[in-house]
Amino acid sequence: MIEVQTDDGIRFRIPKQESLGMRTDVLVFASPELIEQIRRDLSLRQAVNVATLPGIVGPSLAMPDIHQGYGFPIGGVAATDWEEGVVSPGGVGFDINCGVRLVTTNLEKDEVRAKLRELVNQVFRDIPCGTGGKGRIELRDKELDEVLVKGARWMLERGFAEERDVECAEEGGRLEGADPAHVSSRAKERGRPQLGTIGSGNHFLEIQFVQQIHHPEAARAMNLHEGQVVVLIHCGSRGLGHQVCTDFLAEMGAAMKRYGISLPDRQLACVPIQSQEGQAYLAAMRASANFAWANRQAILHFLRDSFRRVFGNHVKLTTLYDVCHNIAKRERHEVDGKKRDVLVHRKGATRAFPPGHREIPAVYRHIGQPVLIPGSMGTASWILVGAEGAMRETFGSVCHGAGRLMSRTAAKKGRTAKQVEKELEERGVIVRSETKDGILEEVPEAYKDVDEVIEVVHRAGLAHKVARLRPMGVIKG
Amino acid sequence: MFEVLEHTADIGFRAWGSTPAELFAHAALALEAIAVDTSQVEERYVYPIAAAGEDYETLLVNWLNEVLYYVDGERVVMGRFQIDQISPERVSGKGWGEPRDPVRHPPRLVVKGVTYHQLSVKQEGERWVAQVFLDI
Repeated sequence: MIEVQTDDGIRFRIPKQESLGMRTDVLVFASPELIEQIRRDLSLRQAVNVATLPGIVGPSLAMPDIHQGYGFPIGGVAATDWEEGVVSPGGVGFDINCGVRLVTTNLEKDEVRAKLRELVNQVFRDIPCGTGGKGRIELRDKELDEVLVKGARWMLERGFAEERDVECAEEGGRLEGADPAHVSSRAKERGRPQLGTIGSGNHFLEIQFVQQIHHPEAARAMNLHEGQVVVLIHCGSRGLGHQVCTDFLAEMGAAMKRYGISLPDRQLACVPIQSQEGQAYLAAMRASANFAWANRQAILHFLRDSFRRVFGNHVKLTTLYDVCHNIAKRERHEVDGKKRDVLVHRKGATRAFPPGHREIPAVYRHIGQPVLIPGSMGTASWILVGAEGAMRETFGSVCHGAGRLMSRTAAKKGRTAKQVEKELEERGVIVRSETKDGILEEVPEAYKDVDEVIEVVHRAGLAHKVARLRPMGVIKG
Repeated sequence: MFEVLEHTADIGFRAWGSTPAELFAHAALALEAIAVDTSQVEERYVYPIAAAGEDYETLLVNWLNEVLYYVDGERVVMGRFQIDQISPERVSGKGWGEPRDPVRHPPRLVVKGVTYHQLSVKQEGERWVAQVFLDI
C-alpha cells in the first residue's frame, strides 16, 4: 500500500523516497473521501511511475478525478524539461485532443423542454456517433492534409465556422508545428471518414441548462444566465489520433533502448523531446489535435442546422470556449523561481490559465480562461475559470471530469438499458445512444461525484466555480 | 476461448489456446467481439493478416493492432481466424469475414487502441493464456 501524507486534507503527497527510481514527489489534489476511492485502483502506482520519467520538472501531479489509465493515470499532469526531458505518447493518450466545446444558445429551458424529444431525435439524426457508419464530410487527400495543418481554421475557410468559434478555442483551434508527413497513411485512412462524428465510450453531446451561477462577473463575460440552454460537445480526434498513438508507441518501444531509457511500465514509452522520434511524434500529435478541433467544429456546424430545424432561424449558437484535455504542449512556467520551457503532458487534465494570461481570448482575459468540465451522463457539468493557484502548483492545469469509479462490466450488472433510460427520463433527461451498452456503461453511479471533484479544485485555488449545468438531452455512441 | 476482464475506465480480455497459434486466433476473436456484434458475420472474403514483434507479448499487441485496423480503418468484421505461421518474432495468418454493416453487425464499442497495460502471454501447463487491455 502506498503511503500518502497530507497537511491540509487537499494536497496529498507521496515523497520520492517511496519507490526506487522516482525523480520527484507525487502530488495529488483530493479530499479525504476521494483519496480513499483513488487508492482502490492502480492510479497512485501509475502516478509514482510517471515520477520516474527522465527530465520531469516539479512533482508528478494528479487531479481529484484521477483514475487508473494505461501508463499515465487519467487525471495526471507531468511537465518535462524542453531541452533535457522526454515526451511520452502515453502522457497524451490514444485520444489525442479529446476535449470539450461548450456552446451557448439564445433559448431558455422551458422553450427547449417543450420540444426536447424532437430536438434530441433531430441531433441524433444529423450528427452520427460513428460507431458503425461514416461522418457527413468527405475529404480528399489534399484537404485532409490541410485540416491537419489548420484545424478549426480550415473549417472557417470553408464556411463551416464563425470567427468566434476559432477565437474562443484553446490555441485558436490550431496548434502550430503540425506536420501531416508524420501522420501515417493508416491514421489518415482511419480518421478520414470520421470527421464530424462523436465516437463512443464516454464521449457525448449533451443539451443542458444553466442551473446556478456562482461567479456573476465571469458569467457576465460569458453571456450566461440561469435557465439558459447550452450544449456541451465531448469528443476527440477519433481513429486518426488513435492510430497515431498506436504507431508511435510501437516505434518508441524500440527507440527507448537506443536512448538507454528503461521504465517500470511499457505503456509509459518515451523518447527525448529533442530526438528525431520525439519531434516526429509532436508534429503528428499536433496534426491529430488539429483534426480534433476540426471535428468538434464540424459537429457544431451540423448542430446549428439541427437547432434551426426545430426552433427556426432566430436560434443562435455561440461558442463559449473549447478546451483539450489529452495533450502535450510547450509552455513557459516558473519553477523554483526561474522561468523554464517545459512540455506539459495533460492526460485527462484541462489547462486553466489565470486572469491576465496572454493565451486567453481578449473577452475572457480579465476573468481567467474558461475551463469546461463534463460530468457523467445525466448528472451535472461545470464551467470554471483558471486561477493563480494553478500557475503556482499545477503548471496551469485542473481536472477534466468526474472520473470513473466503477468498471463497465460492473456498471452493467443488474439493469437494462430500458430501465436506465426510464430512470433518466424521470429526472428530466432524454437519452439516445447508437449502442445499447453505451447507456448502461455510463450510468451516473459509475462515476465519482463531479461536485466533490470541483469542490477540491475550487478550494485548492486552482480554478473558481462559474456555473453548474444540468443535462436535458444526451446523444452518445 | 476468451473472457472479458474489468478495468476502471476501459476493458480487457483473457484468451486461451492449446498453442500460440490458437491463442492468437482467439485473441483476435475477443477483440472483434468487444467492438462489434459478430453473431451474423458471413465468411464472404478472406483477409490476410501479418505482424512482427520482439517477443510473444509485443507480437500479440501488433497482431491485434492489425485486426483493429481492419475493424476501424477498413471497416471489415471477421468471425474466424487462422494462424499459418508463428514464432515469437513473426505471425501470419488470415481472417474470414465481410465489410461492416451496421444493421447485421451492430457496433458495441469503439476500440481506440491495444495497450501494454498488464499485458501477458504465458504457457500455463497444457495451455497458452494471454491478458490484454484495450483503450475504449
